[in-house]
Amino acid sequence: MQVTRRQFFKFCAGGVGGSSAALLGLSTGEALAEEVRAFKLTRTTEVRNTCPYCSVGCGIIMSSLGDRAKNVTTTIIHIEGDADHPVNRGTLCPKGASLLDFIHSPNRLHYPEYRAPGSSEWKRISWDEALGRIARLMKQDRDANFVARTPDGLTVNRWLTTGFLAASAASNETGYLTNKMLRSLGAVALDNQARV
Amino acid sequence: MTTGSLVLEPGQFEPPAGQITFLYLPAQDLFVRRAARLRQLANGHALGGYLQFLASLADTQQTALQRLPAPVLPAPDEQRLCRQHGMPLLSATTWPREPVWHEALSAILRQMSQIDLPVAAQETIRSLARQTPAYLERQAGLMLMEEWEELQPNEAPFIGAALQVYWLRLASALDAQTVGRLEPSGRCPVCGSRPVAGMVRGDGLRYLSCSLCSCQWHLVRVTCSSCRSTQGINLHTLHGADDPVRAESCDACNSYLKLLYLEKEGLLDPIADDLATLALDMLLEHEGFLNAGSNLLFHPGRGPE
Repeated sequence: MQVTRRQFFKFCAGGVGGSSAALLGLSTGEALAEEVRAFKLTRTTEVRNTCPYCSVGCGIIMSSLGDRAKNVTTTIIHIEGDADHPVNRGTLCPKGASLLDFIHSPNRLHYPEYRAPGSSEWKRISWDEALGRIARLMKQDRDANFVARTPDGLTVNRWLTTGFLAASAASNETGYLTNKMLRSLGAVALDNQARV
Repeated sequence: MTTGSLVLEPGQFEPPAGQITFLYLPAQDLFVRRAARLRQLANGHALGGYLQFLASLADTQQTALQRLPAPVLPAPDEQRLCRQHGMPLLSATTWPREPVWHEALSAILRQMSQIDLPVAAQETIRSLARQTPAYLERQAGLMLMEEWEELQPNEAPFIGAALQVYWLRLASALDAQTVGRLEPSGRCPVCGSRPVAGMVRGDGLRYLSCSLCSCQWHLVRVTCSSCRSTQGINLHTLHGADDPVRAESCDACNSYLKLLYLEKEGLLDPIADDLATLALDMLLEHEGFLNAGSNLLFHPGRGPE
């Protein structure tokens, strides 16, 4: 619907001096003007998201404080179940309801860590190192244990010695890619984490 | 026990327990509760005198409402047609208003004239009571067409109050099931008017409250009521992020609409709490946002043009 700017509710010259309240003799608007000067707006941003925990995929609404435009760090201050979401209709399980603490937890892992066999120390490593190491070990294991044919000559092309556990709140597209990649390697043991 | 096909047929699948009700028709004691909320807010408020006046006005609205005769609604065929084509059934701009709304206005003016009010208010009441039906029809038409520049700020609250009584009576006689969703969803599905504010209920659902007929219709949260954008939705408050009254602004179309969080304060009333937080409107206007809502009981003043 086309609406002209004129039709919007607007104060004249920033006050209520010409308003119903003033013209009926009920307020001069001075007290209000004083109040307006004393206030400063607090601004929060609301966004929809999906709970990261399990495969139910509950809808959540997250509120963050801080104005991104003004180069201030934003902090998430509130998370609630999304009442409009058909899956959870606003409800959350105890883990979902504590998402705010999960986000701000000092124990939250921010980077890959490696603990060598026999060692009690976790050592920070780079993503390149971590992914390189995982790929190398997978290849070693596959090269050693891949079965192209059974003893009676049946073609199977399977790799039984490594399993793969994919994420819970994965999208259809992620699920498709996970399957594509692992089945092409011959992996049979593939699962998605349904609950965390 | 024999089981047939395990494949569910359309209609067999049970909807989830929390099916969302699309429309709530106005309650018959709405004006009583509004008057109580206005009196509560008026105490020590910068616009206390005006809120107190509106409380008396809401009292007279309740009396006028109870005196209105049962309304004549559109025929079932017409109701079906409106639903089919997404048209408001009791359109603010095209519905043929019956003269009974003048009676509602007379009743409101008569009762208001008995209250101790400033001279300017008394004069407005006296002059409105003497106006011809043609003049009143013209003022009503302007208000419903949102031609605020053409309206007298001192007369608008009385005209608005009478029209609210008339439309609430009409809307409350409807069957909520006969009302369909309207596009754009920022307009009332019953009368096509703008909302006053959104109400976020305790269960987390948001309903927009109509400025004219007081119906409440569902709109998905974190969605701009004017342009349906779901990005760049910000909430602005006066007393910190936990305030029960927040203005939801949209970066895409630069408009805002107030949201009242009933979980924080159960007595919130769209009209009363909108006018008790005019400071929020002024600050947002200063930031360049336009109010997507409308409140018939307050005219902000005619601009210089």
